[in-house]
Amino acid sequence: MNRIDASDHYDESSFAAQTPSLLTIVIDTNPRAWAALHHVLPISKAIANILVFVNAHLAFGNDNQVAVLAAHTNRAVWLYPKSPNPDGGSYGRGQDVHMSGVEPELGTSANKYPQFAQIETSILTSLRALIDSTTAADLNPTTLISGALTIALSHIHKTSLAFEPPKTSTDPANPTTAAALTSSSTATPNLHARILVLSVSDSEPAQYIPTMNAVFAASHARIPLDTITLHGTPTFLQQAAFITGGTYLSAAANPRGLLSYLMFGFLADADARRSLVAPTQDSVDFRAACFCHRDVVDTGFVCSVCLSIFCGVPDGAECLTCGTRLALGAYGAKPAVVPRKRKKKKIARVNGSGGGEDTGSATGTPVPP
Amino acid sequence: MADSDGEFQGDDASDDEFGHQGTSGTQPGARGQSGQNKPRKGGRKSARAAWEDIQRSWDAVVEGADGTLAGTIEGLAEAEKRARLLKDTTPLQRGIIRHLVLVLDMSFAMQEKDMLPSRHELSMAYASEFVREYFEQNPISQLAIIAMRDGIAVRISDMSGNPADHLEKLQTWVKQESQGNPSLQNALEMCRGALFHTPSHGTREVLIVYGALMSSDPGDIHETINSLIKDRIHVSIVGLAAQVAICEELCSKTNSGDKSGYNIALHEQHFRELMLAITTPPATRAQEQSNASLLMMGFPSRTLAAGDSIHYCACHNRPTREGYACTRCGSRVCRLPAECPGCGLTLILSTHLARSYHHLFPLRNWVEVPWSEARRSRACYSCLAPFPEVPSSRAGAKGKGKEDRAAPAPVVKGLSESGRYACEVCNNHFCIDCDLFAHEVLHNCPGCQSDTRGVGNENGDRDATNGNAMEIDS
Repeated sequence: MNRIDASDHYDESSFAAQTPSLLTIVIDTNPRAWAALHHVLPISKAIANILVFVNAHLAFGNDNQVAVLAAHTNRAVWLYPKSPNPDGGSYGRGQDVHMSGVEPELGTSANKYPQFAQIETSILTSLRALIDSTTAADLNPTTLISGALTIALSHIHKTSLAFEPPKTSTDPANPTTAAALTSSSTATPNLHARILVLSVSDSEPAQYIPTMNAVFAASHARIPLDTITLHGTPTFLQQAAFITGGTYLSAAANPRGLLSYLMFGFLADADARRSLVAPTQDSVDFRAACFCHRDVVDTGFVCSVCLSIFCGVPDGAECLTCGTRLALGAYGAKPAVVPRKRKKKKIARVNGSGGGEDTGSATGTPVPP
Repeated sequence: MADSDGEFQGDDASDDEFGHQGTSGTQPGARGQSGQNKPRKGGRKSARAAWEDIQRSWDAVVEGADGTLAGTIEGLAEAEKRARLLKDTTPLQRGIIRHLVLVLDMSFAMQEKDMLPSRHELSMAYASEFVREYFEQNPISQLAIIAMRDGIAVRISDMSGNPADHLEKLQTWVKQESQGNPSLQNALEMCRGALFHTPSHGTREVLIVYGALMSSDPGDIHETINSLIKDRIHVSIVGLAAQVAICEELCSKTNSGDKSGYNIALHEQHFRELMLAITTPPATRAQEQSNASLLMMGFPSRTLAAGDSIHYCACHNRPTREGYACTRCGSRVCRLPAECPGCGLTLILSTHLARSYHHLFPLRNWVEVPWSEARRSRACYSCLAPFPEVPSSRAGAKGKGKEDRAAPAPVVKGLSESGRYACEVCNNHFCIDCDLFAHEVLHNCPGCQSDTRGVGNENGDRDATNGNAMEIDS
C-alpha cells in the first residue's frame, strides 16, 4: 500500500531511520452490541474517536500507514483502503453508486490534511454502506472476527513483502544462509505491523479454530494483536493478546473514555513499547471447552489422534470425533479391591455413565471385545 | 564403503545443481534420488546419475514478446513458489504427538566448506530453525538432540517439550569444533535409549543430519537396525555429501520399505527444505492405528501471584510472579507445555492443541483462474493488490485464448495465467502471495472466513473434511 501516503518513500534516505509502521484496526460493528452501548457511546462518537487515533498514528511518522476493517455479523469488509473489486453482487448493488456519489464531495476540504480527509471519507462511506445493507436477518449475536483477522494478516503480509529489500530473490544461496544465521538474533523488520481490535461482542466458539489459526500466524510474524473491549468478553482475543504479546484492555467500565484508552494504551508501536510499561493482564483464562458437552474444563481427556477434548471418558472409550477406539492407559483406574457382598447399585450407575469427574469414574479399563 | 566413489558422485551432483538451482525447482528430492543410483550396483535399472541429465537454466528461458526476460523470470519465480504449495490436501490421520531425536553430525566431515559458511555452522543454524519450527508445528511433542563426534554419541539436550531448552543447549555447541569420526550405531543406540520410555500413542522418530560417508561402529549395525524396527522407531536421514548404502537401508527398513526418508541435500536451500519438511507430522500408517489412547491433560490458567508476593516455580526452582497452577495438585509451573513436577500430569495450553488442528483439517488447494473468468475481480480479495488487467484481445476471442494458454502451460505448471487463484468454496480470487501465505502460515481462507452469507458456511466445510478424514481412518 505504498500509495496510501502520497509522498515517495525512498528518496528521503535521511529519514530512513524510522521504520514505517502499519496499524490495522478491526472494528467490531455488531449492531446489537452498539445498540446496547448507544446511551453511553454511540457508534458515531466511537468512530470519531478512532479517526482521531488514526490521525495521531499517521502523524507519528511520514511512512506510517493505516488500514481499517469492519467485522460485521456475517462478513468482514474493508473500510479503508477500499476494495476495488466489483464485489460480485453479493451485497447491496446500490452501494457502489452511493459511494461514488459521495466521495468527490467530501474528499476535498481546504481545512484538512488531504490524507486525513481521504481516510475519513473512505471509512465513513464504507461504514454507512455496510450499515445500510444490513437487514434484520443479519443480526447475529457475534461477529466474524476470524475473517477480519485473516484478511488483515494477508494484507500485512503483502505490505511487508513490498518493504522487503528485493535482494532475496536474486541470489538464492547467500541471503538464505545469512538470514538463517541472523534469524536467531532477530533481524530488524522493515515494517512494524500491529492489529488493534475494537471489540464489542463475545467470542463465538464455532470460530475457535480459524481464530486461533490467525493468532498463530500473527505470532509467527511477530505481529502484536491488541484488543480493547467495550462490551462483552472476547476470551479468544484475550488469549490472542497474550500469545502475540499484544495489549488487552477492557474499557467496559467506562466506554466514554475510549479515546484516552486508545491514545495511552495503543498508540506506541512495537519499537516504542519496549521502553514503555504496557498494561498487563493479571490472569488469562486458558481453560478449554470440552467437545462433548461444551463444558469448560481445566482437566480433561484428549484423544491422541484428533486432539478432541472430553470432560470424561467417552462411552466405550471411543472418540466422539474420529471414532477411534482409544486405549485408556492407567487413568481413572483404581486399585483392585476385594468386592464386598453388599451391592451399591446406585453409585455404580452414576459412575458408569461417564459423567463429570475424571477421577470419580470407577469404570476401569474397558476390555476390548 | 567406497568412499572415493561416493564423494566424487556427490560433489559432481552438487556442482551441477548450483548451475541451475535458481530456475528448475522441480522435485529436487526426486533428482537427488536419481543421483544416488550407483551404476555399479547390479540390482538397479536405469542408473542415470544427476550429472547425466543436465538441465540448463538457459534452455528453459523463453524470450517474451517485447524481447525481455522479465516476464519469464517473474513467472518462473512464481511457479517455484506455487510448486511448493501444490501438495496433497487429503486430510490424513497424522501422528500429532511426536517424539523425535535430532542427530547432528559433528565429525571431521562437517568442516567441509561445500556449503557456506561451513557444513557445521549451517547445520547448527538450521538445527535451531528446525527446533523452532518443530515446536511451532508440533506444540505437544517432544524433542531431544544428539551429536556424533569422536566416534561416540554425545547428548546435547534431553527429551523435552520446550524449545527454549534446546535452543540454549544448541547455542553452547555452535562454537565447538567438529572433529573425530561419526558413529551411526552409537547414535542410534542412544536414540533408542532416549525413545525407550516414550508412550505408545506417540510417534518415535529419528532425524539424522549426516555429512560423513563413513561410520565407525563398535558392532554390527544391522542388529541395531533390527532392534529399531522392533521398537517402532522411524529413521529419516538428510545426507550432505553423497548417498551411503547403509543409510538407505536404515531408512527403508525402519519405514517399512519406504525410501523417501533418505535424501541428499543438493544445496543450502534444499538442505533447509529437507530439514523443515520433517517438521510436518508424519501420516500414520494403517497398521499403527491401534496405538491411539486417551490422554489426561490439564489446562491451567495463567495467574499472577497475589500482591507483591513471589512464588517459586516447581519446575526450575526460580522465583516468578506469574505462573500456571497444576489443575490436579496445584504445583506452580513457570512455562508450558510441561509435565507437572508434582503429579506428572501433562499441562498444556488449550491453544497448543488448537495449533495442531490445521494438520488435521488442511486448507484445500486453490485453483488457477483462466482469463475468461478473470473479469470478476480487479484486486486480490484479501490484500487488495491489483491484478493484471484482462487483455482486451482475450476477452472475446476464445480460440486465441486457448492458443495463448497452450504456450506457457507446459513450462510453468500450476501457474495461473491471469495471476489469480480462486478458492473453490468461496470463489474469491487471490494473488500468489496470499495463496502462499494462506496455505503455509495462516491455514485459513480469507474469503470463506469473512463471509458466511453464502452457501454452507465454514463450519459445514470443516465437518465435510472431517468426514473425509473419518472415512479414510476407518
